[in-house]
Order: sequence, then C-alpha cells, then structure tokens
Amino acid sequence: MHIGIDVGGTFTDAVLMDKGLVKAVAKIPTSRDLLTSLLQALDAVMQGVGGEQVERVVFSTTLITNMIAEKKYDPVGLILIPGPGLDIGLFRFPGEVRVVQGAIDYRGREIIPLNMEEVDRVADDLAARGYRKVAVVGKFSCRNYLHEKKVAERIQRRFPEWKLELGHQVAGQLNFPRRVVSTYLTCATREKYRFFVQSVQEAIGQRGIRGKIFILKADGGTLPLEGSQEVPMETIFSGPAASTLGVQALLPPGETAVVVDIGGTTTDLALILSGQPLLASKGAKVDDMFTHVRALAVKSVPVGGDSVVERVGRDIILYSERLGPPYCLGGPMPTPTDALRVLGLTKLGDPERARQAMNLLGAPLGLSPEGVAERIIRQVVETVVEEIENMFSSWEQEPAYRVWEVLQKKKVRPGTVVGVGGGAPGFISQIAARLGCSPVIPPYAPVANAIGAAVARPTIQITLRADTEQGYYTVNEEGFQGQLDDPAFNEEKALNLAKRWLAWRANRYGLENSVQEVELLRKEVFNMVRDWVTVGRLIDITIQTPRGILYHVGGGRERGVEE
Amino acid sequence: MRGKKTGLVFFPAFDWAISPTHPEREERLLYTRDQIFEEGVLDLPQIKEYAPRLATVHDVARTHFCVPRVQSQVTEAHLIAAGSALLLADAVVSGEIKNGFALVRPPGHHAMRVVHGNRGFCNINNEAILVEYLRRHHGIRRIAIVDSDVHHGDGTQDIFYHDPDVLFISFHQDGRTIYPGTGFPHELGGPGAYARTINIPLPPGLGDETFHYVVDNLILPILRDFQPEFIINSAGQDNHYTDPLGSMRFTAWGYAEFTSKLKPHLAVLEGGYAIETALPYVNLAILLALAGLDYSRVREPDWPGAVKENPDRVSRVKRMVDQLLRVWEERDNIDIEKIFGRGPFYERQKKIFYDTDYIEEEQLERVRRCPSCPGYITVDSQGVRGYSYSTRVFCVSVPFQACGACQAEAYDAYERAKGLDVYQYVYLQDKSTDTFFSFERDKKREWVSEGPKVGE
Ligand SMILES: [Zn+2]
Ligand SMILES: [Zn+2]
Repeated sequence: MHIGIDVGGTFTDAVLMDKGLVKAVAKIPTSRDLLTSLLQALDAVMQGVGGEQVERVVFSTTLITNMIAEKKYDPVGLILIPGPGLDIGLFRFPGEVRVVQGAIDYRGREIIPLNMEEVDRVADDLAARGYRKVAVVGKFSCRNYLHEKKVAERIQRRFPEWKLELGHQVAGQLNFPRRVVSTYLTCATREKYRFFVQSVQEAIGQRGIRGKIFILKADGGTLPLEGSQEVPMETIFSGPAASTLGVQALLPPGETAVVVDIGGTTTDLALILSGQPLLASKGAKVDDMFTHVRALAVKSVPVGGDSVVERVGRDIILYSERLGPPYCLGGPMPTPTDALRVLGLTKLGDPERARQAMNLLGAPLGLSPEGVAERIIRQVVETVVEEIENMFSSWEQEPAYRVWEVLQKKKVRPGTVVGVGGGAPGFISQIAARLGCSPVIPPYAPVANAIGAAVARPTIQITLRADTEQGYYTVNEEGFQGQLDDPAFNEEKALNLAKRWLAWRANRYGLENSVQEVELLRKEVFNMVRDWVTVGRLIDITIQTPRGILYHVGGGRERGVEE
Repeated sequence: MRGKKTGLVFFPAFDWAISPTHPEREERLLYTRDQIFEEGVLDLPQIKEYAPRLATVHDVARTHFCVPRVQSQVTEAHLIAAGSALLLADAVVSGEIKNGFALVRPPGHHAMRVVHGNRGFCNINNEAILVEYLRRHHGIRRIAIVDSDVHHGDGTQDIFYHDPDVLFISFHQDGRTIYPGTGFPHELGGPGAYARTINIPLPPGLGDETFHYVVDNLILPILRDFQPEFIINSAGQDNHYTDPLGSMRFTAWGYAEFTSKLKPHLAVLEGGYAIETALPYVNLAILLALAGLDYSRVREPDWPGAVKENPDRVSRVKRMVDQLLRVWEERDNIDIEKIFGRGPFYERQKKIFYDTDYIEEEQLERVRRCPSCPGYITVDSQGVRGYSYSTRVFCVSVPFQACGACQAEAYDAYERAKGLDVYQYVYLQDKSTDTFFSFERDKKREWVSEGPKVGE
C-alpha cells in the first residue's frame, strides 16, 4: 500500500492507496508543529492497517518554505569570487557579502588566481562578526570548482566547526547570481532540515513502517527522505506539484489540461501538456529572489473564495485580501463564496446571510442579489481566464536557440479545465466555457494533492559535460570533476559515462530499481574549431529517470460537472 | 515614448553552419551564451528576452532581388535572424522596450540588392530588411545605420546608395588590407543621396582612442544634424584586438562605450570571429551598455592595457575626419552635376564577387534622376558560376517615396524587359505599394507577392 500526505498551509491531506484505488482519505488542520500534523494525518489513514503493509510513504513539507518566509535560520556569510563582469551590486543578495579575488572562465580555465591572505582576512572578518555558516560561490564554478574548494579548505582548516556550503555542489547550471542565492539558502536551512528528517524517521519507525519514505520536490519528483538532506531547497513549493500530479493521476493519459486550484485567497494554476506537467524553464523565485530550484510552472493568482468584495461608486471591486471567512459563514465582508451561495453553486454557509451580503453591495445600485452575484462570479472567472491565457502565451514565448526549436513552436490550447480545491465546483464550468474546454472535477478532487504525493515517482538526473580539448569532464549534480584519458572519447561514450553516473547516483540514494529506463533530456555537441581544424569537442548531456507518476487512479474522467 | 527595458533576441542558431569548419558555424555564439547565462543578465529587470520569430519571404522581397527566388537563397536560419530584428523593432516602436539587441546569426551586411549567392558569410541583409519594414509597417522615414564591423558594410551601402532618407555610416579597416576591398571616403552616395553614405577606412592597428575620436568628431555630429527617427547599429565585433580576420585593436569596453554614445534603437550582430576571446565579453558589454548598466567591469582576461597607436596613422585618420565633416557640412551646396554629370539617368558598372559561393556578378545599375523623388532603379545583372553556368536578370526597384511618373516608367521598364529574351528572370519591386513581381522567361510565368496589408 502507498500513502501520500500533503502538508499545506491550512490543511494536511492524506490518502492510503492500494493498487490504484483510494482506500482511505483524511483532512486535518495543519498545526504549528509540522511533524504533529504529518503524524496525525498518517495515523488517520492507517487506521486498521499494519505498518508492515505500507510499502511507501511520500509526503510534502512546508518546513523550508516557512523557515525562509519567517527568516528563522542562522545568519549566513557569503564569500563570492565573481571576477570581472557584471557589477554584483545589481543583484540583491541576502546576508553579509565578501568578495575575494579570482576568476574562472566559461571553459573552466583559471584567469585570475586566488589570494590566500585575502581569503584569511575575509574569514577572520566573518568570524569576528559571529558567522559560523558560510557559503562560498564562484562564477563559472560549475565548470571548474578549483577556487571554491581551495577557499573552503583554507577556511575549514582554521575554523573546523564552520558549516560551509559550496556553489558547485548546490547548483551545477549556469547563472552565478542564482547559484549564490541557492547556496545561501541551502546553507541556511540544511541543519534544521536534518533535524526534521531525523524526527520523521523516528516517528515513522515507531509505527512499524518498513517501507521507503520519500519527500516530494517542487518539480513533481520524489527523493528518499535520507538523501533529501543534500538538497533541502528542492522541497519548497511541493504543494502545487502535489495537486498537479494528483490531477495527472486522475485524468486519462496524454491530455492537455489546465489545473485550477481555487483556495480561500489564492488560485493556483498549472499546465499539463500532453499528459506531462509543465516545468518552469527557469528556477523558482524564493523570497523574491531567483534560485536554481527546478519547479513546475505554477502561477498563483491572488483571488479566491474568501477574497473581499466591495462597492466603490458604481463599481463592484474584487480585492486580493482576505478579512475573514465569507459573510455567509459569519465573516465581516461579502466574498465570491457568498455569490456562489446565492446562485446555488455551493451549499456552504447560510443562504440568508449570503443574500444580505449581495444586497449590501447591490441595493444602492438597484441590482438584485442574483445580479450582483453574477457580476462577482464573472470577475473571478475573467481574472483567472486571463492568467491562463498568459501562461500559455508565455510558454509559447519561451526563447529558442536552434532553428528546429523555432520551427516546431505551435499554438497549444487545453481541452480540459480541471478543478481541485474547495472553491472549484462553483467556478470551473464557467472558466471552462470561457476557454472552450470541458470542465472536469475529478473524484477525490479535495485530496488530489495527497493522491499526487502518493503516485509521484522518484527522479534523479545527471548532467555530464566533457571538454575533450582540455581532457576533463564534470558531473554537475555530484560536484565531480575528472580526467578524460580516452583520446577517442565521443558522444556515445559520453552518454554511456553519464548512464554509469546515473546508476551510481541511484545506488547512493537506494533507488537502483528506478534506472532501468533513462530519458535523454538535453544533448549539445559542439566541435571546437581553431584555424579550420577541429581541436576537440564539447559534449553536454543531461539524462534522467522518467518523470511522471507511478499509475493513474480509477477511470479518470468520471464526474464532469456538465453532461 | 520609450519603454524602460532593453529587448534581447538571442538566436545562436546552434544547429546551423555554412560548413563544419567555417568561421560562421554552430560554435560561434556558444561562449557568448555561457557568459550571458552565467552572469545572470537575463534575470535583471532592465532586460527582457524575446523568442525569435521568422521574417516572411515577402519581407525579404521588399529589399532584395533573390535569384532565382527568395526561397532558393534563404534558409530558415536566415529568416529567423532577420525576423528577430523585425520583432525587436516592433517592440521599440510600440514602446514596450527602449532599445534592442538582435544577438543573432547568420549575419547580413555584405548582402546587396541583388543576391546570386552567399558573399562575406551573408545571404540577406538583416538591417536593410529592417529599414524597409520600418517604413512599410511603422511609417518611419529617416533612418541611420552605423556599421561598426571591421569589414566595410558594402551590402548595406549598395542597397541605400541612392536613398536620401537613409544615412549609412561605416567605419572599418582600410579596404586595401581586408575584404571586401571597398568603403573609401570618396564613396559618398549617388546623385540623389549625396553624403548620405559616409565611409571611414581605418589603418590597421588602431585602437579605442582613435575609434572614439572618429565617433566623437564625425559620427555623432553627423547624426545630430541628420536627426534620424531610428538608429540601427550593424554591430560587428571583428574590430576587436583578438579577431582572427581583422587587424584592429578595439576592446569590449571600446565597443560598449561606443554603444552608449550612439544610443541605437537596435543593435544587430554582424561579424566577429574571436569566439572565445572577444565575443563573450563584447556581446555582454554591448548588452549592458544598451540597458544603461555599468560595463566598466567587463574585461577580457588577456586585456593588454591601452594600445600604443602609430602617430602617423592617427593623424591620417584625423585629417580624414576633417575632410569628411566638411563634405557633410557642404552636402547641400555642392555642385551635383560636376560630380555626377547630367542626363536623365545615373549609371554605375559594378563587378561583385561572391567569395563563399564563387560567383562573379556584373551589374549595370541605373537610377532615374527625378526632381520629385529618389527615382526608380534598374539593375541588369549577370551572375557567372564557374565557366558554364550563368544567370542574367533584370531588376526594377520603385522606392518607397516614388512619384507617380517614376512608378509608371518603372512598370514600363519591367514590361519591356519581360519581352527581351536575354533575361531569364525579370523582377519588379514596388516598395510604394508593397507589391513584388517576378517573371520567369522559360516558363512564361509571373508571380506576384502582395504580402499582408498594413495593420494585419
Ligand atoms: Zn566583418
Ligand atoms: Zn520620381
């Protein structure tokens, strides 16, 4: 049996699944202590089920998200090696920044050496200011980690108790400012995350569960709990990933759909293109800073069932704030939920209070409660539809760097609008109608997120880059750099080497069973020509275990809101 | 009204090359990509990256006579490079961005009005296509093109040689020492567009100091006088001190400083073949300069410090700057007939060599000397490939600003040429109505391209 748990901001949802069937569901309020919520939800779905029957538990956590939002972490010092180029003052970096001399170029060649006395001075300075956690990040360190390692070794010798984090180990992709932020946040959160992981392992052990424990990532993949300690940042934003995967599991394979998750104050939108959730082309924004964290392309629209509605002059205006529950549930202000109640699109709350709320808005304008309600719903629908259109067009507007990529770009529009979340039933048909799609509210829509967690697959990825002229290669995810001795090293050998690394990494995470299939995500091969002679090759290959879900649930489209 | 951002289309065409070891190959913008991505420039709020788009065949036909037809001279990569410039121009005109950088390949500034093949790595002229597009779609008339490639922008010069509303300024390494061997100070434009073409050939070995002397004392004063509505920079980077094809000594900083003085609405990448030592730094510096950001910290790893310039060569350049400035200032008082003679037509004989495709072309270009418009142009062109294969075509071009009389005469010339057996293809390009005709002798067939109507 599989268990999926999604710890959200307001509720924690859990499901117990057996061979694609939902056996038990639970929804409990999330408390301050995340571990408590997690265990309550776990216990709720495990009633009458022995721990030994559970093969797999996947859960999401908002621990890191909360920690960053509330800035509840130790201060981190940044030692940067930016070299020549952009003025780093153009970027807003968190923490105390110290710059040291040194530079590596785009092919990993050292162009300016380090100055070790300067490194010592900077370390002393940070020590004097009380820093014990330090992130060391160099420009192009993903192409050569030499400087980061040297700086770290030097500092560690003098301050053995310091927790250091190196840029090339956190983020192997290009983009130095994002690497700085990602490394900083990793350094800031790792210790507390480790403590959390230990508590979870203990608690689950006490319940006799011998199955594997996984944590959901922002990109919809999972990692074994143990291994996730290497990359705590990847656990942020897993909530939207959970709902999207849940919808993917509840729909027939291969569909193109928009997932609309209408909550109290926000509506989350995600896209499923030909059956696969769309990944954002760039890393996620965390605490208003760009990072390298891979996440699904999710758009949060500040409108939901509890949004405040007010009359200003002759206009009825929808605000992004929440001032309490809807009027029909005893709240202070009219909301879209009251509008739904008046139109009979929800059974929540007191119908009389809902009418009162509409009258508060409409009476001075001579509008009937139904008339006001329709206007409010129309506004919510328009806001959401506009954002959906924007998402599709910005996906079409993604840059392309090859001729074939430009030529294959085509207009894709969804066939289905899938509603999940509490506010979905009232709005989904109208949103779908505006987009010319069919509306679907899948069975188990309220716990789609937990289902998503339950069916999420483990993912691991390897990016290998070989420079045959210089005779070395790097493996980004492992922070590895090695010699290439084979003079006949080529594309095929590079792919095989990458596969060996993927298997090795899978082993390290205890996922040896998930590397039977390998997907080639990206391949770049460039001949380096100097004076009309080919002097070497640059080969850049990314492979991964297949993304997606373990299985679909039931028959998929069962309960469309319209026949 | 100008926006706040700088638009960028980065189209490195990683799957397109002239040939595997040619300088114009897949690898050319690879390290530029690495540098720009690693610096995180694209995350800055001052910069907006756009996806490229394709120019249409009609956009190409508005500018060029492609032999035998547009589709046989351009690949999709060419249409994407040209289309990217158009897309950014649209965004500049609409006020979405303040300026743009089409960091694209393949380049285009050696492509002339008539195209028999590839010359100087170019098939179609991205900047010229942009100029005609701006006129047709945005009603922009006065345009300046400043070419900062080490090679003379002979294609752009050829296309606008008789156009008084396009100012073309090219500084480059002296044509006696480098391809294509043209671009001398006496090449000043035709009788109807005198001094609208300005060439500043530079002796090899000169660096940023002389570069900026020319910019400050000649290019900027001329631009201030001309008052263009739109400025395009043909941003070749082969004047860099590490370029394998050029012998100049400019730096990334020199290019960026030039960009911030010129303030082009659009910079379009041209040449530049020091793919590791120059391009990553020059492209980054130009992008920062366009965005109004600090570029002083962008520095080549092997930067040699200030260049010692040969004083004789420097003073030669200064004299030339003085002379050209006088030519510019006197442009409307000059006796045109003394230079160009009289008669209803002005004629030029041209021999053009296509280095990449080994084609030799002979041209007779005639422009109608009309008192009320720039006059229509005819080109009798014969392209010879090897010894056996030759194509002779006749091209008629009606300018955007054409008067009714010229337009009527041009159509007559087209019809007459269709009846002559010597031309395999006869073309008429009517920019005033945005209609293009081509006639194939052997099939006795005519094609018309009307393109989309304005506003579509
Ligand atoms: Zn050039
Ligand atoms: Zn005329």
